[in-house]
Amino acid sequence: MRQGFALPPQSGKTILVLRPSVRVAEQSTGGMAEPRAEWTDQARRHIDAALVELQRQLGNRVIAAPEAYGEDARLVAEHQALFAAVSRAVIEYQFFVGNRLPTKKRDNKAGQFDWSLGPDVAKLPGADQADYALFLYTDDQYGSTGRKMLQIVGLVAGVGVSSGVHAGYAGLVDLKTGDLLWLNADFQMGGDVREADGAMKRVRQLLEDFPGSTIAREAAAPAATAQARP
Amino acid sequence: MIARMRLAVGVLALAAGVSAQAEPPLPPPYAGAYQPQGVDEQGLWREMDEEERRFAQSDMIIRDPTLQAYVTKVLCDTVGQDRCDATRIYIVRVPMFNASMSPNGLIQVYSGLLLRVHSEAELGAVLGHEFGHFEARHSLERLKAQRSGGDVLAWAGVLASLAPSYDMLRTYRNLQLTIIGSIYRFNRDQEREADGLGISYLNTSALRPQAAAQVWERLMAEFTADARAKGLKKPRFDRIPFYSTHPPEAERATTLALLARPEAATRDDGAARYRAALAPWLPQLLDDQIKLNDFGASEYIIQSLAESGWTAPLWHARGELYRLRGAPRDLVHAAQFYDEAIALDPAHPEAHRGLGLALLKTGQAAAGQKALLRYLELKPDAADAKLIGMMIPKEVPAP
Repeated sequence: MRQGFALPPQSGKTILVLRPSVRVAEQSTGGMAEPRAEWTDQARRHIDAALVELQRQLGNRVIAAPEAYGEDARLVAEHQALFAAVSRAVIEYQFFVGNRLPTKKRDNKAGQFDWSLGPDVAKLPGADQADYALFLYTDDQYGSTGRKMLQIVGLVAGVGVSSGVHAGYAGLVDLKTGDLLWLNADFQMGGDVREADGAMKRVRQLLEDFPGSTIAREAAAPAATAQARP
Repeated sequence: MIARMRLAVGVLALAAGVSAQAEPPLPPPYAGAYQPQGVDEQGLWREMDEEERRFAQSDMIIRDPTLQAYVTKVLCDTVGQDRCDATRIYIVRVPMFNASMSPNGLIQVYSGLLLRVHSEAELGAVLGHEFGHFEARHSLERLKAQRSGGDVLAWAGVLASLAPSYDMLRTYRNLQLTIIGSIYRFNRDQEREADGLGISYLNTSALRPQAAAQVWERLMAEFTADARAKGLKKPRFDRIPFYSTHPPEAERATTLALLARPEAATRDDGAARYRAALAPWLPQLLDDQIKLNDFGASEYIIQSLAESGWTAPLWHARGELYRLRGAPRDLVHAAQFYDEAIALDPAHPEAHRGLGLALLKTGQAAAGQKALLRYLELKPDAADAKLIGMMIPKEVPAP
């Protein structure tokens, strides 16, 4: 999280959610991702619903970014690509200690978190009605039956076969300055996004360190969420 | 040696096959808005739909409604109106010879392709080939082939490690090579099928189908010219490396020439219409090509475009090509080419700019400054006006 940034719970801020990038696939026996349209649709629906619900518990208002056309749409696409590039850099060079960008060495020693998308984010469609923008990315591949069988035989044969990919990250950006305020990334996420409960769990994991969050860690999640309800 | 003999037999079989080959029948009448069937195809389409949302906003796309409409019209003229309604064409600014088709009907046409084809029939041949991939659902088949190959390999890998021995390892490696090779061969067969479909569309259209083979003949000539300029061995077009995704160019040209309907050879290929439609973009496309720093290929492309007559943009592009390589002898030639451009179009600002810079570098200061002055007169708001101004003493403001 960026230094000096605090979002007190129940502060009633508005958060603009850009179209989340969601992909759900099946992993073939050979490890290839086979995209699945139905799962992706379900996941998109459930994640959207879970996001609104969890932010409501935090006391924030969530608005979906309006569908953009022409010049606006290009601006959105450019910023989504920029966010993806910046967050990859954060994950690569800040989250992994010992893997430092030379220009960021001093920042990292002091535990600084200083990344920005630039002030142009204020021009994004819908930005004038919100305080922060939330970017969300999930990529899931569920191991097929064949992959799981291979995993079992692999265990006997002493060959490590991994089954399934469940990666996700979420980031919060200040819509006035473009500063990246908070980023959470996890490449071993839980929750089956194809179902409503699973999607709730996934979004809760993504938002567990969300600024001003009263969402407790996964272990005590159900009880803590109940307490957090106003 | 055996491999070579087998190859020779293969080539013979191929030649025999080609001459006996009949024109592939057109697919059944187009059913209109096709919807993907089954989990694999629906998944592929959904993923591409999402990708298209992003891709449609890319800065790589040339957004010119006129050019876009023209390229779409060429596709529709080739494959028919009902078929071409299933596609969206995006012209991408990439100075390479390529076009691609996605399973959901997104066609990418690289600007380098537009520079290299000379007529509506040639463009239609390439677009028809891409549409053939779409109509025959090649992406889906490829996904399935790769999946089966990957599955077999994964099992073989795990099972082989149950009984680790040198023989087992060798058998596994052989299997691996066989499967990888068969996936690439599958891909090449798909390209052959798409070539067949493409020429069938062209045969049934009003365009000249013989143009399809010309595209490949010119591409081979370009590769040869490029290799010669680089001092490399003449490239072989009759054979391909193991990992090749496409059949050899010579085979494609021969097959396409054989499959073109002979009685259609007198049809119009729309070369004049194509030149007129591309004219506004030609300087930009030539500039992108020249900046690839690929002298032999660029020179070949300019020369082949000039077969239908030299124009000011072509002379200017040739001047730029020589001036940017920049050896003293190149600068002399460049100045001469710019002069030709100016003779055809005295108000071509960039030709005066190039002439001025080339003359300055060859020590003809006065003449060079005069040409640069003319450039600034013709284009006072040029992006580099201040920079060029500094090369003309009178224009330099007193410090």
